[in-house]
This record gives sequence, structure tokens and C-alpha cells, in this order.
Amino acid sequence: MPLTLTVNGDAHQVLAEPHRTLLEVLRTDLGLTGTKENCLEAECGVCTVLLDGAAVNACILLAAQCQGRSIVTIEGLAAPGDMHPLQRAFIDHGAVQCGYCIPGMILSAKAYLDDNPEPSEDQVRQALAGNLCRCTGYQKITEAVMSAARTCRGAPRVPRGALSVGGLGAITGASARLSGPPA
Amino acid sequence: MKVMKTLGQSLPRMDAPGKVTGTAVYAADFVLPGMLYAKVLRSREPHARLVRIDASRAAKIPGVRAVITAEDVPDVRYGGSVKDETVFARDRIRFAGQPLAAVAATTLDAAAEALAAIDVVYEPLPPILDVAAALAPGAPLVHEDWASYTALPILHRDGNVCNRARIVLGDIERGFEEADRIFEHRFTTASVHQGYTEPRAAVAQWDSSGQVTVWSNTQLPFEIQTTLSEILQIASSKVRVIVPGIGGGFGGKLRVGVEHFAALLARKTGRPVKVMTTSEDELTAAYARQPAIVELKTGVTKDGRLTAREGRLWFDTGAFAGSGPGVASVATLMLAGPYRIPNLLLEGRAVYTNKTNFGSFRAPSGPQANFAVESQMDAIADALGIDPLDFRLKNIVREGEEGPTGQVLTAVGLEECLLKAADAIGWRDRRPSPGRGKGLACGWWTTTGGSSGVYVKVNSDGTVALNTGAAEIGTGALTGAAQVLAEDLGVRLADINVVSADTLSTPFDFGAQGSRTAFAVGNACRAAVAELKRQLFTLAAKHLDVDESALELRDASVIATAEDKRATLAELARLSQASGGGLIAHGTFVAPPTAYDAKRVEGHMYPAFHSPSFHAHAVDLSVDAETGEITVHRYVVAQDVGFAMNPKYIEGQIEGGVAQGLGQALSEEIVYERGHVLNANLTDYKMPTTLDLPRIESILVQHPSLVGPYGAKGVGEPPNIEPPAAVANAVASAVGIRMTTLPITAEKVALALRERAK
Repeated sequence: MPLTLTVNGDAHQVLAEPHRTLLEVLRTDLGLTGTKENCLEAECGVCTVLLDGAAVNACILLAAQCQGRSIVTIEGLAAPGDMHPLQRAFIDHGAVQCGYCIPGMILSAKAYLDDNPEPSEDQVRQALAGNLCRCTGYQKITEAVMSAARTCRGAPRVPRGALSVGGLGAITGASARLSGPPA
Repeated sequence: MKVMKTLGQSLPRMDAPGKVTGTAVYAADFVLPGMLYAKVLRSREPHARLVRIDASRAAKIPGVRAVITAEDVPDVRYGGSVKDETVFARDRIRFAGQPLAAVAATTLDAAAEALAAIDVVYEPLPPILDVAAALAPGAPLVHEDWASYTALPILHRDGNVCNRARIVLGDIERGFEEADRIFEHRFTTASVHQGYTEPRAAVAQWDSSGQVTVWSNTQLPFEIQTTLSEILQIASSKVRVIVPGIGGGFGGKLRVGVEHFAALLARKTGRPVKVMTTSEDELTAAYARQPAIVELKTGVTKDGRLTAREGRLWFDTGAFAGSGPGVASVATLMLAGPYRIPNLLLEGRAVYTNKTNFGSFRAPSGPQANFAVESQMDAIADALGIDPLDFRLKNIVREGEEGPTGQVLTAVGLEECLLKAADAIGWRDRRPSPGRGKGLACGWWTTTGGSSGVYVKVNSDGTVALNTGAAEIGTGALTGAAQVLAEDLGVRLADINVVSADTLSTPFDFGAQGSRTAFAVGNACRAAVAELKRQLFTLAAKHLDVDESALELRDASVIATAEDKRATLAELARLSQASGGGLIAHGTFVAPPTAYDAKRVEGHMYPAFHSPSFHAHAVDLSVDAETGEITVHRYVVAQDVGFAMNPKYIEGQIEGGVAQGLGQALSEEIVYERGHVLNANLTDYKMPTTLDLPRIESILVQHPSLVGPYGAKGVGEPPNIEPPAAVANAVASAVGIRMTTLPITAEKVALALRERAK
């Protein structure tokens, strides 16, 4: 069936059988592979996109349900060459390891922060509970979202270079302590 | 000591921008024009004779381009230390999930339809469901022809045991005679999956010269190249393996899993073919952690000195040996623990059953063995009335002492780790309130050896290309190696580009396994810089008209300070390009062998730990007296990392490793019933979410390794080792119940509490 999908502000005409998912159409027909594929049963969250501003699992959403609605994928979160504060914060806080869950994680966070600009850490954890990450233990992801929330509210944020200054022992993470070699 | 400009700093990883913007391409994202999609038909029976398989209906389905079964592929047995595996089951099926056929079609829907149209006739046989059944007298053999298989000669194989590794030290009987008390315990652990978020995926394409190129998310491109050449029966030079981005591995992406299906189907159809696993494939037919049984008998004097340990560990390796023989070997070193025990008899066995071929998962054997050893240490301490921290401090290995196989231990930061972790958790208040308790566990681990090569090229604009055969699996190890390169070469990290993991164009690397990548590739970078320096100084001496001995390399330049002359790397690269083919160096590293006493080991594939790391974990948790539910309040890790190349990402390794370890401790289990997995989906296989994990505090202890770059030790695997033991010990502190099986679910705790109340 012919569909018109508005993805990252562009209208795309696609032909898709009624049973095809939004995830398949995004990845296969539109080549938007920033939206990831894994469990295909809405458990892991790597396929999270924004549908009319809400975070949804594209793997269980039929493309036909998205006719005439606005979809944002990770590729459309910021203008080319630019980054959303969440994307910068994920880099600055060391929240990215393998990175496969990160697009979905960032979009879940975006949807939440849009409605809840001053979240507590517990609320951020609640908001991201549908996105599995196997690398990070979620700690730096949570810190990144809290930091991005401050940036989005216009509060002074930790300067971008904070991660890259200082010598041995100058660690920005709240949790780390270093000790030197034995004397 | 020289002030470092790049190393030791928490610089952002080099691949982060692509990963946060969605432009990084992973194997699962990879497509080629005209590509077909493949699916694999897997056995529904755990053990059966394959009477007949008929794909004639499937082949006629529109869109289907090829169906292959055992009849269509070379009759080859392949494998690591034991060559016992085939691409498809031929006559005998050995586990539910074993591949029987594969289909390539123009769409996944057509491929799925074709799978359903393949007719299979099974003659079910009684399955061997666990280690006890496999070792029972008169048990049927999983591999009747085991003795005829090609295998590493050092292995001790016997029927369903595909290796028995052993460490013998001192006189075990005398050791027990010297003991005032002898403690015996038995522990069991469940299988857990690596849980990488990107499924295993591969795309294969053949060219007209007979070369196949495979894009795969493997951790070991060079091993996949070798295995594919065996399976396809072509020269390894005809197999090119390229690794795009990898969405996590944790040891689950070491061995061939999908690449061979893609290559065989692409050869048959003449078109590129993509294969990707489903969650069901992952939980039924991947390389999850081995379930284990551990029995420990430990002798101790009344003042708390360990005199002897007899330890036996049995791994269920499933239908094939795979990683089993090696992991059973590593297990024996872990059964000794980081303790001084003069009399040892330690055995690790890998045992065939009718289950999937369990494999390597981050610190393979570590959590299972450590759970047993460290649980028993607490049980002994409690029985002797000694504080568990003091008991450990009394027995831990110290600088210059021997490991269990006689290796001399250096850079032993264990005492510092234990004291700092205990201090941070508030150890002296171990039972702060009813139902709340704290637990400690410590351990040691290896930095895996193997060789690494790099090419380092200086470009005409002064930037640098680092070409390595290692894959970046997410740890940030290649950023760490590039930091070493930047430091030694005097350039900025931003001036380095990494090209990686292509068996045709990158130098050999032993692969992203065993916490070795930053360590080994970093050292290879150091060697490359030493070679580049020679090239640069020769050129610069001539160019600047100074003596080579007056030159130094810093700030992206070769400088003759006394004469106030300098030439930038860019100038020298251009000069070399005009006169000598450009600046390029080949740097190599192989971990020097760690000396050990060969008389102490048998059947052993891993007799010593290279540049061992030491670590202590401490946890503070509560147990609900009614439901048995465990709430983890705080978690502290003190890890001796040797030298912290990039503290932020080491913290990331610790946090992620603990998260996986808490999953294994509390909730994760691949549940088998009669040889079938009951929970082959991510709803019922319970990995921790944001809501299940505490804040994890990292303390980086630094006792520099004599071998690692700037003293670094492997850091990736260790954080996964101690969480189950730390949790079990804290549960015992909290409610006085010693849990001896993993996972420690609320249900098990509640039942144990109820049992005790009777």
C-alpha cells in the first residue's frame, strides 16, 4: 500500500505491505540505519524513534499506522554537522561504549525531557527503563541525561572540554578516585 | 617521570560522534546491492537421529534462491582445540537449536516461509541433560567418535569429558593433616548470555577471483578467516574478513556463528547474502556462559591460615567442545583464588551434553569459580569467628610470591584493593540493621597474551593513521591504544585516525578477547613509534644539518633544542614522500611468556596469568524478609588497573562489568527443561534495566605492570568476576543464609528463609 511518512521533516512516499513495521521501512526502504534492530518484540528499545514527539518502539509499530504522522530518528535529532545537547552530553560523560543502544536511549531521553525538563535521577532512570544497555551499567547514561537536562533548561553546563583537561588524577566523574603506585 | 599530555586523561572516545548521531555502521546495518536474506532451520529435538530432511518444497517458494543442508557443504569437522563441529547436523542431532539447513531468499518473509516448508523427520533419542548424566557410569557418548577427532595433544580427553585440566602442588594429604578444620562446599551456577544488543550478523560476497569477503561483527576477524577457510575448503588468503561497528561482544562473538552460512549461501547463489540472529537463536544456539558445578574442600588452621585445597569444577560445555577445554583450564587458576595455599589439587573439566555449545563470556570461568571460592572464604571466616576481611588479608598473595602454578607475582595491588573497597563500603559496620548486610569478594585475572601488529603512517599534513587488526568492540580499547600512540609521538589524539580489523589490509592481531586490546595494541604502537623515530631522526638530521643525537621528538616535531632548529612531522612526511616512499612503521608486540612450573599442570591450555590484575568488590544490600527480594544499595569496586590510561572509560568498564555480574548474581538464567530453553526471549531472560542497578563506585588502584604500556593491565573482564560472590556474602551477612546456587533469586531466598523458620 502507498504511504506518506514524514521522517525528520521530509515527506517520503513508500510502498509497504500492511504487515511491514516502521523499523523495516526506516532501515530498509529509507536507509536510516541509525534506528537499530534487535529483539523485534519491544523489549530492548534499540529501535526507539519519536512519533509525534513520543518515544515508541519502531519494531512493533506498523508503517501503515504512521501515515501522515511525524517521525524523528536519531539522524534527524540535530541539523547535519550539529548535535543536540543530549548527544554532546553522552560523549562528554563517557556514556557511549559499543553504542548500539545509544540512538534509542537518546530518543527516549529526548521525549522525556521535552515534557519533564527538571527530572530527578530516579525519574530519568524510570524514563529509560525500556532501553537495555549491556555495556555501561546505565550510570554514565543517567549522568549524561541529567547534564543535558540542565543544558536544555539554559543553566550553565559543564564546559565541553571538561572531559579532556587535567592530568592523572583529574577525573571529572563523581565516583572515581585514583591512587598512585606504592611508594 | 615525564609529564603526560594525552595518556591518563579521560579523553572522549574517537568513535563517539558517529555512535551518537547514528552514522556509525554496524554489521547489522550493513547492506549490499542485490543482497539476499538468509534464515537458518534449527533442530527442535535436543538429541535425535536425523532420519530425513527434504527441502524440495522450500526450494520452489517464490523468492527462494538456495536451500542448503549437510549434503551441500564440505564434510568438514572444525573447532578450536577439538575439531568436533559441523556446519549442519548430518545424521545425528546433538542439541535443540543445532542448524539443519539454511535458506537464502530475496526477502526475509520468503526465507521464513521456506524454513516452514522444509520437512524434517526426527527419531528422538534420550538426551543427556546435564553433567551428572554425562558422567554417570555407562552414560551414552555425545560424540561416539570422540577419540578420532583432531584435538590439541595436551588435552586430557575421555568420552564425554573433552578436557580435564589439573594443577597439583605440594602434598594435598599432608595439607589436610596440618589443618585444624576442613570445610567442604558445593556450588552450582546457571548459564547466562552475553546479552549484546546487536545480534550476530554477517554479509558475504564472492568475487570473480574466488575470494569471499565477509563483513561480520566478530571480535576475532583472523580466527574467523581461518575457520572459514577450513569450512569452505579454500586458502585462507581467499577469505577476507572485515569488521564494521560491533554492538557489544563480551566473548559471545569470538567463534563462527553466522559467517559460514552467509559465505556458503553466497557461493551457491552468486549474490551477496546477509545472516542475522534472532533473540531465540541467541538464547538457544549461541555461546553463552557454561553452567558449572564446583566442589571445594579447604583446610585451615584455627588461626585462619589456609593449608590445602582440593577443588573440582565441572563445566557443561554442551554439544561441542568450543571454548570448554580452555575455559576449564583457566578455571583451575581461579579455584586457587588470589591466595597462598601450599597444597593444591585443582581440576577443571569440560563435559559434553545435549545443549548448545556454551562458550566464552567476559572473564570465562571467573564468576563461577570465584562465586565458589569467595563464598567459601566467608563461610570459613564465619565458622572460625574471624572477620572475612582479616581472613583474606591473612592469606592473600603478596608481591614476589608464587601463583598456584609457580609464576612469580609482581605488581600485586590486592591488599590496597581490599582495604579501599572495605573502607568505602563501611565494612566495620557489616550488619547495619536487620535484613541489611555487606559483602566482600576479591580475585585475580589475566591480561591475555597473543601478538599484535600495527602500521603507523605519518600523513603529509602531519596527521597519523593507526592501522590495526584489532576490532573496537565498544570498550574504547582502540582509543586507549591511540592515546599511547599520541603520547609517544607527541601528537594530539585528534590528529590520529584508526583503520581497523580487515584481514586483507591490516596487520595481524590476536583479537579483542581476554582484556588484551589496549594492552597489546598499545605496546605495538610504542614499538612503531620507536621505529618511526629512527626514520624521522635520519631524515631530520640531514634536513636540519644536525647530529641525530641532538634530536628529540615532541610537540609533533623533531627538535634540536640546542641549535634552535625544528622540523614538523608534516614537513618530514612530505620530505619522505618526495624521497623515500613516505613515513610508515610496523610495530609489533607479543606478551612475553610468563614462566611457570610445568610439573604442576596437566591438560592445561592456560598455565599462568600474564600481567595479572587484582580486585576487590564490596556491596551493601537489603533482603526483604517476606519476599526474599534483594535491593542493592551501594556497590564499590577497587581494581588494580596497573596504570589508568583513560580513567573515564575504565570506570565505564567497571560499571558495565558489575551490571552484567549483578545480572548473573540476581536474575539471569537460561532455563532448560528436558534439553529445551524455556525462556528464549528478552521478556523472560531478565537482564538488568536502569531500575535494577545501584550506583557503582570505582576506585582505580595503580600498581604498574612490568609489561603493559606505561604499566597498564587488562581491565575489561575483571569487573564481571566478583559480583555473584560479593552478593552471596552480603546476603549471608544480612539474613544469615548461605546461597550456593546462581542466580540468587527472590524466590530462592524466600524459600530458604521459610525453610529456616521451620
